[in-house]
Amino acid sequence: MALTGCTAGGERQEVIVTGSTTLLPITEVSGEMYTESHDGIAILVSGMGSSAGIESVSKGSSDIGTSSRELKDAELELGLEDTPVAYDAIAVIVHPDNPVSDLSTLEVRSIFAGVITNWSEVGGPDLPIGLVNRDEASGTREAFSKIIMDDAQFDRGAVVLPGTGQVRSVIADVQGAIGYISLGFVTDDVKAVAIDGVEPSEATVVSGAYPVQRVLHFFTKEDLSDIARDYIAYVLSPEVQDTIVRDAGFIPITAKEAVGD
Amino acid sequence: MTEPEQAGSERVNGGLKMMSRATYVREALLKNLFLLCAIVAVAAVALIFVFTIARGWEVVKDPGLAAFLGGAEWSSTLGRFGILPLVAGTLAITLGSLVLGAPLAIGTAIFLSEIASPRMRSIVRPAVEMLAGVPSVVYGFFGLVILRPIVAEITGGMGFGTLTASVILAVMIVPTIATLTEDALGSVPSGIREASYAMGATTWQTIYKVLLPAAKIGIIDATILGMGRAIGETMAVVMVAGNAPQFFKGLGAPIATLTSQIVIDMSYATGTHKTALFGLAIILFLISMGLVALVRALSRLNEKKA
Repeated sequence: MALTGCTAGGERQEVIVTGSTTLLPITEVSGEMYTESHDGIAILVSGMGSSAGIESVSKGSSDIGTSSRELKDAELELGLEDTPVAYDAIAVIVHPDNPVSDLSTLEVRSIFAGVITNWSEVGGPDLPIGLVNRDEASGTREAFSKIIMDDAQFDRGAVVLPGTGQVRSVIADVQGAIGYISLGFVTDDVKAVAIDGVEPSEATVVSGAYPVQRVLHFFTKEDLSDIARDYIAYVLSPEVQDTIVRDAGFIPITAKEAVGD
Repeated sequence: MTEPEQAGSERVNGGLKMMSRATYVREALLKNLFLLCAIVAVAAVALIFVFTIARGWEVVKDPGLAAFLGGAEWSSTLGRFGILPLVAGTLAITLGSLVLGAPLAIGTAIFLSEIASPRMRSIVRPAVEMLAGVPSVVYGFFGLVILRPIVAEITGGMGFGTLTASVILAVMIVPTIATLTEDALGSVPSGIREASYAMGATTWQTIYKVLLPAAKIGIIDATILGMGRAIGETMAVVMVAGNAPQFFKGLGAPIATLTSQIVIDMSYATGTHKTALFGLAIILFLISMGLVALVRALSRLNEKKA
């Protein structure tokens, strides 16, 4: 089933990759490069969300399901093989003029739960906090919720924006705003605050000191085609990890092994 | 409506008239072609309606009609699908857009119909019609980049919410209301107008005492159709409303509508959540049907009176 294009003596073989939109910068570019360098093989990439990716690989309609979250309890029974491909940190960002540059996990939680509503409560100016949240489909929101929020609920009055870029542009524009985006998307327009005194960076993610981080996964079934295996090996090779993964703002999966973690 | 007649003054239905076989066939084909067009349009509405009902009716089982219609919280992660905050949000934004947009549109229509010189009209009318042609994402972008910071300045929040969405929608519904109001004013017999002026009434007195009462029902129709446009608008609202499914907390506080919630949720909804989204679509359908029925009832009333 994996080799749907294999009808006439293997003229064109396909590997279907479906899942997280967060992983698209990695899968799209590496897929293109792999397709170019391997005659007769096509890597077909689509982004439909982590849940859709996991469901599709378990049903056999794709070869690789990509996910920006861990498997849920119900999904553990699907018998999927997990290949971590990169690390991603979620940065809590504020307006560059905001003097607050360090928050504790508890403070961040209280802010996003709507308990702390003014910057003066966390050592900033007397300025109301403008909460920016992501939509509930977002894997970033899910990861942030799991790591930071514990059992607390998000403040329902928060502005909900459906994309990373939108969150960044609004926070760059509004003095009192706070939000969270993938570390790779942080630019000079916004300021990433330190969590519990730790700045988000490749070093702190690799050392494990920065708490808001997650692993990006490839999920596969046991009866994987050789071509798909070869493509995964390519994604894990330094050729992809040091260029495409890093360019996309993620942290190579090999970084932790390098420091012997 | 006058039927366009063919050169030879032959009419299709006048069975006794002489008509070549080729002409007859062509006429019959055309008639059926237009009938087919009408059927496709009706079928499209019927299909969408049936499909939406088929996918959405199960909200009566899960989460249950009471929880769906009477629930005060919409949260997919908590599995709560109460539409009240969304209905309230739709109402607040629609009301705001009507308060701002309807007087603007009716004023524009009066200007075009009663006051403007033909030259002026030839400038203003295309401009108003252009407003209808601007894609809603452009309105949304304008609202996000230009209007939102201004509203943030005024209300002290982030500028996402009822006020921003209402102002954007107000501009979007102007062409609908203005065009239809102008038609309503234009259909007031000019004899009435002339009689008013002949009795020494000023322009303002004529507009206020004679024309507006005479065109009242047409103007209400126009406003209701503008309201329908505001309720259904999605893209521009998603971009500026803030999309927080909470009850109205002030003009500057974020809010969600029936349409914006569907867009935000649809990419990942499954199971009960998806059913609930189709349930929202049914509600929107019912609102829109109600508005159309209202307009038809009013028109009938108008005809009876006339």
